[in-house]
Amino acid sequence: MFGKRKRLWNTPSLQSSYDAVIVGGGLHGLATAYFLASRHGMTNVAIVEKRYIGFGGSGRNTAIVRANQRTQENLPLYKEALELWPVLTRELDFNLMFYNCGNLNLAHSEAALKAMRIQVASAQYHGIDIHLVDAEECKKLVPLLDISDRPRYPIAGGMFHPPGGIVRHDAVVWGLAKGASRLGVHIHQGTEVTGIEVRGGRIASVETDRGRIHTPRVLNAAGGYSADLSSRFLDLPLPISPLTIQAMVTQPLKPLLDHVISSGAYHVYANQTLKGEIATGAHMDPWPNYTTGTSARYIKHQAEAVTELMPCLKGLKFMRTWAGLADMTPDMAPIMDGNDPVEGYYMDCGWGYFGFKSCTVAGKYMAELMATGECPPILKPFSLRRFEQHRLMGETAALMEYSANN
Amino acid sequence: MNRLHHLKTSKVHPGERRTLRYRGREVAGLEGDTVATALYAGGVRVFSRSLKYHRPRGLYSLDGESGNTLMAVDGVPNVSAEITPLRAGMRVEPQNVKGTPEFDVMGFMDGLSWAMPAGFYYRMFHKPAAIWPRVIPQLRRTAGLGTLKPDFEMPGRFEEVYLKTDVCVIGGGPAGMLAALAAADRGLRVILLESRPWLGGFFEYREHPYADGSSLHDRSADLERQLESRPNLRIMKHAPVVAVYPTLQVTAFQRGADSASFDERYLEIQAQSIVVATGCIERPLLFENNERPGVMQPSCAHRLARTWGILAGERAVFSVGNDLGIEAALDLANLGMGIACVTDVREDGQAPQLLDELSSRSIPFMRGWVPVKAHGCRRVKAVTLSPVNGTRQKKVECDLLAASAGLTPSTGALSLAGARFSYDSLTGFFLPSTLPDGVHAAGRLLGLQDARAIEISGTEAGLRAAGDCGMDVAETLRTLADEQSTLPGPVRNPKLVMGPVKGSKTFLCFDEDTTIKNVSQAMEMGFDVPELIKRFTAAGTGPSQGAVPGHNLALFVGQSHESPDTEPRPTTVRPPLHPIHLATYAGAGHGMSKCTPVHALQVAAGGRMEKVGVWSRARRFSDEKSAHDEILNVRQNVGILDGSTLGKFRIHGPDAFKALQRVYVGDMSRIREGRIKYSAMCNEDGCLMDDGVVVKRGENDYFFTSSTARAGSTIEWIRYHTRYDGWDYHLVNLTDAFGVINVSGPNARKVLQKVTDFDLCNESFPFAAYREIEVGGSIPARAMRLGFVGELSYELHVPSSYMESAWMLVEEAGCEYGMKPFGLEAQNVLRMEKGHVIIGSESEQRTTLHDLGMGFLWHRNKPDARTVGAAALIHTEHQEDRLKLVGFKMQPPADRPPKDGSIIVDGVIRGYVCTARLSPALGEVVGMALVDEPLSGIGTEWSIYEDECQGKLLGAVVAPMPFYDPEGLRMKM
Amino acid sequence: MSLNITCPICGKRNGYEFRYGGEDRGPRPEEATLTPEAWCRYVHMNRSVAGVQREWWVHRDGCGLWFSIDRDTRINVQVMAPSTDGQEGDR
Repeated sequence: MFGKRKRLWNTPSLQSSYDAVIVGGGLHGLATAYFLASRHGMTNVAIVEKRYIGFGGSGRNTAIVRANQRTQENLPLYKEALELWPVLTRELDFNLMFYNCGNLNLAHSEAALKAMRIQVASAQYHGIDIHLVDAEECKKLVPLLDISDRPRYPIAGGMFHPPGGIVRHDAVVWGLAKGASRLGVHIHQGTEVTGIEVRGGRIASVETDRGRIHTPRVLNAAGGYSADLSSRFLDLPLPISPLTIQAMVTQPLKPLLDHVISSGAYHVYANQTLKGEIATGAHMDPWPNYTTGTSARYIKHQAEAVTELMPCLKGLKFMRTWAGLADMTPDMAPIMDGNDPVEGYYMDCGWGYFGFKSCTVAGKYMAELMATGECPPILKPFSLRRFEQHRLMGETAALMEYSANN
Repeated sequence: MNRLHHLKTSKVHPGERRTLRYRGREVAGLEGDTVATALYAGGVRVFSRSLKYHRPRGLYSLDGESGNTLMAVDGVPNVSAEITPLRAGMRVEPQNVKGTPEFDVMGFMDGLSWAMPAGFYYRMFHKPAAIWPRVIPQLRRTAGLGTLKPDFEMPGRFEEVYLKTDVCVIGGGPAGMLAALAAADRGLRVILLESRPWLGGFFEYREHPYADGSSLHDRSADLERQLESRPNLRIMKHAPVVAVYPTLQVTAFQRGADSASFDERYLEIQAQSIVVATGCIERPLLFENNERPGVMQPSCAHRLARTWGILAGERAVFSVGNDLGIEAALDLANLGMGIACVTDVREDGQAPQLLDELSSRSIPFMRGWVPVKAHGCRRVKAVTLSPVNGTRQKKVECDLLAASAGLTPSTGALSLAGARFSYDSLTGFFLPSTLPDGVHAAGRLLGLQDARAIEISGTEAGLRAAGDCGMDVAETLRTLADEQSTLPGPVRNPKLVMGPVKGSKTFLCFDEDTTIKNVSQAMEMGFDVPELIKRFTAAGTGPSQGAVPGHNLALFVGQSHESPDTEPRPTTVRPPLHPIHLATYAGAGHGMSKCTPVHALQVAAGGRMEKVGVWSRARRFSDEKSAHDEILNVRQNVGILDGSTLGKFRIHGPDAFKALQRVYVGDMSRIREGRIKYSAMCNEDGCLMDDGVVVKRGENDYFFTSSTARAGSTIEWIRYHTRYDGWDYHLVNLTDAFGVINVSGPNARKVLQKVTDFDLCNESFPFAAYREIEVGGSIPARAMRLGFVGELSYELHVPSSYMESAWMLVEEAGCEYGMKPFGLEAQNVLRMEKGHVIIGSESEQRTTLHDLGMGFLWHRNKPDARTVGAAALIHTEHQEDRLKLVGFKMQPPADRPPKDGSIIVDGVIRGYVCTARLSPALGEVVGMALVDEPLSGIGTEWSIYEDECQGKLLGAVVAPMPFYDPEGLRMKM
Repeated sequence: MSLNITCPICGKRNGYEFRYGGEDRGPRPEEATLTPEAWCRYVHMNRSVAGVQREWWVHRDGCGLWFSIDRDTRINVQVMAPSTDGQEGDR
């Protein structure tokens, strides 16, 4: 029934030159490589990954997908990202386990409901299925919710987004690796970038611990390490702070939670995986660092918050906690840019903790940018220069500076 | 079942019966039983069915290493019966079975295992595309173990304890006990954490000789007595460690004894030094059907008898990897169990006296033999044995197969503490190769086996920990080293033990039904390091979090020589080391909020209170959502508002002025005596952070206010932005020191004049003035006239201790005029009618001060002050295509306000409505919105799109602000 | 991941008592010379060093002092004694 098993992706030896080198074997790097090969015929591409693919944020996130962002620069992007899941499932012939169970975001005050209405109205205007719901409707969707006055921040209502849901993150990593590899992309694991050479304002080569690669194109898709990479090898600092974000799963249960639920006031999201575990997060240690350790304080906060909203969960046990790096920008929107200031240097980073849901579409458009040299209009608002031009994205009402600027 | 009651090592009390209900019938147990031992004694042999294949599973371990005994207890799902003490009246139910654990309808899944290789679901169910959505509900139903109802209320009392200590010892076996003693005897504070309900580890249940005629059990009891006699040593039993952090913080949870005030409590301990003596667990032997009911760890069989008086079977085969296993077989034979034979994977190295005893009892002993296959489905019936190299086979009948490949160290706590491990080929263990400062390891987990050697390693570790805390231990350590050199060191253990099997029913992970064959399949597909195998096959990701696959996974991969890893390494360990209830973490769940000094008066007046940040504030004083009456009362008469939550500060010192100039965009040199100055603070992007008033009360002495939300961060902000300057000034947070009474409306002066002698006429106390007055003859009040709501308005800052009195005086004075309280909703509308900004409502990260129309507050001619935000204000002043704050009215036929948050559209989104209301005073709808600059001119017509409008747009037009009293005459009355 | 920080006034404390204040980029530049690019570099751009970096912290749940430390961001450990670079906090 399954035939002879063969490797999902190959392990070729490192060539001395490629048409493009992608730093980072996570979802964004893999997706860009896949789209370069499948849509633009650029197959002479190398992915250079220091550990193994999916080791970073790609393997640690809770795989929530949605298209209910705040700004009209972001909405079409995420809408397309949602629509790409079934397409990729088919193309890669790999079950990405996309489960559109719907997302419910809670609001805990009238002010929060107003802020949500901006999102809901904007999304509806773009043809996205999403609605404001009151507290009773929230309870119908998620019977575990406590909509009484007992919680510290009682539930005032929320927004429900049926097309959103969860995907199996590992499946996407492996599926994309399989797809890219079959098309000829070289995936080099256990290979660390040690330098980037620029000559005359153009990318000339990438130095790794296994040798030098000559290439005219480098994509920085290094997630939590993207800022250090850019700053150290190119003297190009980025407005990014890598923060440690924690998540945890409980022991598996029979079906209990039918939608993804999240609350800004409590800093909590929760969903039930297909294995039955309740996955929840997401506190971040508010200081930049490169460790992926959890902290007792936030595991406790998480339990307090999630059980205040859904008291029956007190009967569950945490089974596993982990953490990953979130490369955060001040306006909660990524940096997708290229050829400025260095020709041939592309950036797809600053995705914070929402990089998973966008990987498909970011890969598609970054590939277009890299292959054609022309910036697709949908990417223009995400340029690095927006910070010096005072054109922040506005994905949150307040600035999220991980320093003292707020 | 007849239980052994005469044993010295027994922990059950024969006279104390406790019954539980299992599947509707009563099962009798004893005090001291766990739920699992009571069930076992009551004849239960199949406790659960496995996750994927629904294979029957029985009692395998006693410390939760396997998830076989997960059951629902009193409605709580996924409870490990083997570590849960039996309480009378417990209701226990099996999980995840259709039928009974003995006869589970889903058992047929086992026959389909060939169709479910590693990661099969990634390669199926997605084509055709219509299948997947149908499969999902089925998958969800078959996945998961226990059940929880949405209205489930967790029983129990939960507490939390935060402790500081000098030395924290993790593990209460002999090594841990001696470490604790060594540190305590130096006068240090010591906490010892032990996960079982009693101390003693591998000593406690064994009558094996220790020294001088005493047994290990005696020695354990003696050590425990010594520990209890030390007042600076705190022993916490039944307290499994959940995590260790690199900052030497240890978290654990503790089950309460029957008499305790809690059922479970969370422990957070900050130590200066840590000793980890967590010992070992048994390393599973790998063979076909190695997880049948009736297959269990040798120490499980041994302790069932010694601790709980239960003989686990009548005819047992022991397949061991160390002397402990042989000792267990012999002891059980003495206690009456039939032992069919003992196989040992080791060719040699057994203690001679053990072999003598085996032969004196005529128990066949087979060196170098291992099990190949266990027979029987719901019970073990026989086992096929073979030499390791698999040339012959022998089938032996038995009803119990106690099997293990020897011990493997419990490295979880050390790993979390930051230890690095390397594979040691002598012991076959992962041993710590580096330990961080302040972390020490001791005992059996270092590969030691000799009792005295284990103890001394504990003493050594305790001394080293004491050294970390400043004690001088060099001399004692030297003496100790002399004794240590005479004792046996780490011993040789078998490596990975897997008999000559194909592996399709050889289970590496019981919880996830991952077989050796699955692992091989994964490696074929390119998942060739343990971390990837774990993810692809799910091995080790089940409820017991990897204790059973444990080190076997890494060793199996290492032995295969196919992995790029040159040396086996244990897989990454993550907290929690023991699963812990969310209820235990959540604890008592205390809510906290702040109330103003007149909170009770507000409630008594009918205030509908609501949480605003940390404060409790009155939103309205009736159920009328629009607060219509409150608003009109302020416009036409007089209202009173509690503004006590406002941030209030004093700044004084020779450089106080410079500090204010730095953070405020206005020019503070223009403050006049007796006048307030309204100004704003921006962040570096020129966005509005806060606004407030500044008053000069004396030379180098200012009083200023902030918004409620910024009261906690203003001092931090000012100090941050002046941190390089070395200026001399002091800041005092007076937010809670003063309450604020706001009296607003055309009759405000008349009301207030009744409570103060100060002349409140307009000449004496004009608009924007600041006066220090007395209320009620003696209550001091700092009074200001402001324009936030656009009426004659006085803001009185009164010391908090006088606030209630002052409030009641004003209230009484207002009776004559029908003064009424007003709340936040009314205030919201009143200020909106004047076009005033509320931060976060009309402002956001994309709007600079200019965009809000507040650029006039910025004084550009003070570059020396290097004001925060000034550079951005310069850059953006003439920038085009920014969002702008404007006022608007509705266009007929639209006559109701659009909902707050509706968007403004013209094919694309151009902005959104911030606040819009039907103004009681004006009798029409007015609102404020942020919109793209090209659409911001007065008279521009818009379309507003509300959610659910189905494309039906509302018409609006940009209108000048303020809407109400544009000349601002009313507030200057 | 949790960390401990030594406050110049209060001594070694749990990191959660403090608030991170950003990489140390020196005193505020003069307004006049500040091009948008230079301003952005001062305000927003981070070197995000995977190694030892100098940065500012405030003892928010304690004395309120702003001070700078060197911290190794790879292991989240403060590596050198703190300095206040000018400012004494309110006691």
